[in-house]
Amino acid sequence: MPKEILIVDDDPDFVETMEIIMQGNGYETRTARNGEEAFKKVKEKTPDIILLDIMMKTKTDGIWVSEKIRSDDKLKKIPIIMITAVNQDSEMAKFHLGQEKDMEYMPVNVFMEKPIEAKDLLKEIKKLIGGP
Amino acid sequence: MEPKICNINDPECHLDRIRGWHGNLEANITTLIENLKNIREHSEEAKRACSEHYAKTVQLTKAKTRFTYEVSHELKAPLASVYNIINVILDGYLEKNVKRQKELLNRAKVRINDVIKLLNDLLMFSHLEEGTGEIEIEKIDTGKLLSSLTEEMDAFASENNIKIDWNLSDSIPPIYGNPELLRRAFINIIHNAIKYSNQGNKVKVTSKKDNNTFLLRVKDQGIGIRKKELPMIFDIFFRGENARPEHKKEGMGLGLSLVKRIINAHGGTIKVKSNLNKGTTVEVSFPVIQKKEK
Repeated sequence: MPKEILIVDDDPDFVETMEIIMQGNGYETRTARNGEEAFKKVKEKTPDIILLDIMMKTKTDGIWVSEKIRSDDKLKKIPIIMITAVNQDSEMAKFHLGQEKDMEYMPVNVFMEKPIEAKDLLKEIKKLIGGP
Repeated sequence: MEPKICNINDPECHLDRIRGWHGNLEANITTLIENLKNIREHSEEAKRACSEHYAKTVQLTKAKTRFTYEVSHELKAPLASVYNIINVILDGYLEKNVKRQKELLNRAKVRINDVIKLLNDLLMFSHLEEGTGEIEIEKIDTGKLLSSLTEEMDAFASENNIKIDWNLSDSIPPIYGNPELLRRAFINIIHNAIKYSNQGNKVKVTSKKDNNTFLLRVKDQGIGIRKKELPMIFDIFFRGENARPEHKKEGMGLGLSLVKRIINAHGGTIKVKSNLNKGTTVEVSFPVIQKKEK
């Protein structure tokens, strides 16, 4: 059975193209448009890895999702790659988390900034879950 | 005044002189105290003005940082998607599916257009914000201007299963303004009313002459704006919680801030009243400018 990637982004074009790339490389995919939908889908069926956009403009953003997942004993080991549109997103995220915390404390495995090079992303995925 | 000369044997005269000095001294001290009070008041006023200025500068700097961040975000997100689309096609993922390639390329075109539109809006925004550039004005028949929008707006409304009730007065004296900018502002207000309505709702558009002003009122029965969010609706990139993408309301939060600046540049006012889940009313008014014909 191929491994499954959950792609979470509020930009439908980004989601669609990521699906094409991931399916083209042998992975199965599911998608979500916001944090709430993503968390619901993670609970329905555990994905092997999550590509999570930081989605600063949605009410339930990427940080919210990653915190929910990391505080759930059954889900906390799912690898998460956090994708940001602007590197400042992570700075903004710091405000969100509170000044005393730093990015190292963000509950994700890898940070990647858009635009994403497919080969770099595939390499990171392979490192985390060992290929499809 | 000549100093008073007293006879050495006239104590009353001397006492009078001393009383005179004393009186002057008292008056001088009173003046001095008054001056000191004034200085203190001025310095307190200066201190207040200084701290107000400081707070404003801090606020502006924060707003500027936020603005740069928002602009970068709004520009980079669509470009990242276009980048993905190009890569997917270049890397041959859709080699056997020309139809899907075309669909994606069309999406890329739309996204690039969005970026261009955003850049144009930003330019217009800063032009109006700084107030440096003069806007070209001409005599405008508001009745004609609004009638020219009805077809386009009705089409957009019916796509969203919404009906517009037009109540346009045809006896409004002309106003002076920039037709392109006003058209833009009116479209934006009506567009918003449709966008934030629920299917089956009505949007009522009324135009009339009210004393010496032209008044446009757009009333919807839509999702409304939270009371605490009302003061921020004209801030650039602000989007209310109800207007976020998960509610499938597209937009970047630039529209209303541009509308306000366009209206201000015409010496007009904009008022927004709203009840959450009941609807929003936007009222725009412009002075019917009394100006000699060229």
